[in-house]
Amino acid sequence: MTVDSFRGFLRCLDEADALVSFDEPVSWDLEASAITTLANRSDGDVPVFESVAETAVDASLVGDPYRGPRNRPWDHLARAIGLPTGLSGAAYYERLIDRLRSPREPRVLERDAAPCKDVVRTGDDVDLLSLPWPYIHRGDGGRYSNLHTVVAPDPETRWGRWSSHRLMIHDGPFASLLFLAGEQVPNRYYYDYEPREEPMPVAVVIGAEPVVQSTTEMWIPAGRSEATFAGGMKDRPVDLVPCETNDLYVPATAEVVLEGRVLPNERLDEGPFGDYFGYMNGPRRSMPAFAIDAITRRTEPRVPFCVEGTGVGYGRNSGSTLQLAAAGPDATLGLQAAGFDVESAVPWRFTSRTVWVISTDRPYPGYLHQLANFVFTTWGMLHIDFFVFVDADVDPFDPRAVLTAIALDADPDADFHQFGVERMPKVPLNIYQTPEEKGSADVGTSKAKTAKAYIDATSDGERANETADDDRRKRAQERLVTAGMSAARFDLLDGEGEAR
Amino acid sequence: MIPFAQYVQGLASNDELLTLEGPFDVPPPVIAAEALRASGPAIRYGRTDGADLTSGAFSGPDQLQRRESAPWSRLALGLGLDPEASFVAVLETITRLGPAGDRPEPTYDRRAAARTIDGIRQLALPRDADDVWPALTLGVASVSTAAGTHWAPVHGAVIGDDTLRVRTPAALSSLLDGGTVSVALGVPPAAVTAAYLLAVRDRLEVPIQDCGVAERVSLVPTNGGLVPSATEVVIEAAVDDRHPDSRSDRREAWEYGTESTSMALSVERILATEDPVLPFSPLERPLSDDLQLTGLVTAATLYDRIDDYWGISPVEWVLVPAAAELGICVVATNVLYAGFEWQLANILFAFSSLFDTVIVVDDDVSPRDLGRVLGDIWVKAHPSRDWIFSEPSAPMADRPRYRRDGETGSRLYVNAAWDPRWDDAYIAPRVAFDRSFPASVRDDARRLWDTRHDGAADDENRDGA
Repeated sequence: MTVDSFRGFLRCLDEADALVSFDEPVSWDLEASAITTLANRSDGDVPVFESVAETAVDASLVGDPYRGPRNRPWDHLARAIGLPTGLSGAAYYERLIDRLRSPREPRVLERDAAPCKDVVRTGDDVDLLSLPWPYIHRGDGGRYSNLHTVVAPDPETRWGRWSSHRLMIHDGPFASLLFLAGEQVPNRYYYDYEPREEPMPVAVVIGAEPVVQSTTEMWIPAGRSEATFAGGMKDRPVDLVPCETNDLYVPATAEVVLEGRVLPNERLDEGPFGDYFGYMNGPRRSMPAFAIDAITRRTEPRVPFCVEGTGVGYGRNSGSTLQLAAAGPDATLGLQAAGFDVESAVPWRFTSRTVWVISTDRPYPGYLHQLANFVFTTWGMLHIDFFVFVDADVDPFDPRAVLTAIALDADPDADFHQFGVERMPKVPLNIYQTPEEKGSADVGTSKAKTAKAYIDATSDGERANETADDDRRKRAQERLVTAGMSAARFDLLDGEGEAR
Repeated sequence: MIPFAQYVQGLASNDELLTLEGPFDVPPPVIAAEALRASGPAIRYGRTDGADLTSGAFSGPDQLQRRESAPWSRLALGLGLDPEASFVAVLETITRLGPAGDRPEPTYDRRAAARTIDGIRQLALPRDADDVWPALTLGVASVSTAAGTHWAPVHGAVIGDDTLRVRTPAALSSLLDGGTVSVALGVPPAAVTAAYLLAVRDRLEVPIQDCGVAERVSLVPTNGGLVPSATEVVIEAAVDDRHPDSRSDRREAWEYGTESTSMALSVERILATEDPVLPFSPLERPLSDDLQLTGLVTAATLYDRIDDYWGISPVEWVLVPAAAELGICVVATNVLYAGFEWQLANILFAFSSLFDTVIVVDDDVSPRDLGRVLGDIWVKAHPSRDWIFSEPSAPMADRPRYRRDGETGSRLYVNAAWDPRWDDAYIAPRVAFDRSFPASVRDDARRLWDTRHDGAADDENRDGA
């Protein structure tokens, strides 16, 4: 089974007994977010709020739909793209990377065949506040859309560039987009459109099918298209449709599409917001104004959102799951394609966009420096502050194994490498810089630079074997499952307790 | 006093024990290691061809996974505390087992191990997959001197029916003058914890009659020295050789920070209860019982030494997580003034040679929430300013695998606490259920969620040190 729409994904969750509906009225004003927070931290079902109070459009809110089960966060996405569930992290990465190696061109539908055009509102009929945008955390600067795909023009691909930038709702047809220079789409705005005083056409796609949301989280190199990787991920083309008011193409089965322009030299307030690192991020800043020209949508749209900040520590949410289940395989493939001998690149379990773990061989002296140099100047540039390198046979999906490698193999004297001490750009989405250091640079980055670091937690010699051989381990695990322990806890058994 | 057999029953009553019945086609240490790796319960191995065994009795779940119980919950039960007792209560209870200010009044009782058995092989102690000899672990060695009885951790290999090769702290070996030692297996949790504590604190010269454990554990004389009266198996032995070859032996975790030595013992008498049940630890495996015990007694020692060190008690707790193989120390504190975190990290380095990395977190972080610690070090700590390396002239730490040549190097502390010089306005509020939603919204959300979700208890990160 491969799903082609967001609501198809919800059906998929329902069939897996992983969805729970709330028919009673629930408010967009913190309540939906609070319930989602409880779901996230209890590893509960994904909540769908069918009746959102004080909303003109008959729409549902869906809280953190991409959050996967705690023991195998990739399981729901795997099911949605027709991969087996119960795969180990390494096996899931291998299967998904296989798919990503074969991108597929998208298919363009006629407008009347696209569900996202069920309702079309343009010009004065655009009413942004008719949709149930959630107010997510007390202290946020406003109501937000934060689980969506921003489609922007790209001179090198017809399908445009897909990326993720949180969007704060203002009144009328306006919103502000968090554009941080250093990322591809914001760079296009700050250094191409805005100097020419030309508005940049943009579409914000809410409730796209899972492969679209997944590839939005990936770092696809210039000249390649997320849309083709989305097709590769699901092993068949993604359906796109032209926008009503600009030349962009958007996923045809999306729940809601906001078409508009990011205006040059126009700023609106943005933030504060409780973001992915688990703390409220401020202060309020000025960010580019997004003027909405059209809203197209399905009937009774489902609006997904992410309670950002709940995906740190032991918690999981859509953001941390997508980093692990989508960005990780893509980064692994990217590093392998660049010629590095990496086994896997995996976000750190407890703060998925700040630290990554890379299991790798070390084929030549200086290799880790070269690898760090590559990642810190490409996809690891703005958000990620640390990389931890471990031996290729250390399981990067096992945080205990990684922590052990850091504790026992990373010598403070020789293995902690500052990479450009306070010379690196940094997004203001951090709490270790003071408000003065973050400042309010025109292009979104902090005024003060920061440092990046990598930790060489590879071993210097032979590590003691800390496990018995796999056959004995597997038999031991089977014995424990027979006695009543859950098979889901064991790495060598599938969900039914059978050997993988 | 809680005897070991009673403790095992308590674990069962508390849903912390899984019983497997023999025969076993996989060595129990392999099963034990897999149960620990999976954050499983303690395991009892019912056997007809030897003593019943128990693994995981002194261990607990992996703190890198969210679990309802903590790694110290089982030991808390064994020490007579509520399994939900605060971490600091566990640390303080452990500390009180050690040298006491006032000489306690020991109590004596009759020996539970009243049956003599012919050879140690009758116990069928467990043998790991690649080991040549069956192993005894989590034992307490007892020797007598003019000052009293001394306890220390002991483990070793069963070389023959009447021959053991064991490892004990070198300090215990040096106390031996009579050449007789008793090895107690299956002792009350308080007794084995006390033995670990005395070894880690390097206070083996203090007789147990002068330790708090003597008030909590009834004693009985043996040829070697006093042992807990409720001991499951007592092996009385003579020291044959103080320096046998033991290069291939595994190590218990207390040996990472305490000098140890080997002894060959000639067994003179073995006493056992009617149906002995013996604990064992799968040595050198992640999260093993000996590792957890060593981490806890080290944390208790450090907490005791730094509590009130500056005339006040700003430190909430100290944790030496088994999940980090004792190579990292975490301390939660109120950072009293700028630079206090430097003092604190370096006093910890002064009081323990196990690790050379210290993480400082704010005092509102729960010791149960290692997940938050492992987020905050990357998020709250500035990548250059708050990862502080000493000059490379510090002695090497005992636990890490790097730099085993004795060369000096740097120590590292990570300051993941707020800077006390910062304005309050700089302090970013956490995103958390209790902080991100007003009380009325929380109440409504809980009510609605509880109608859909069975398991209200699992949604809380339990707070409190």
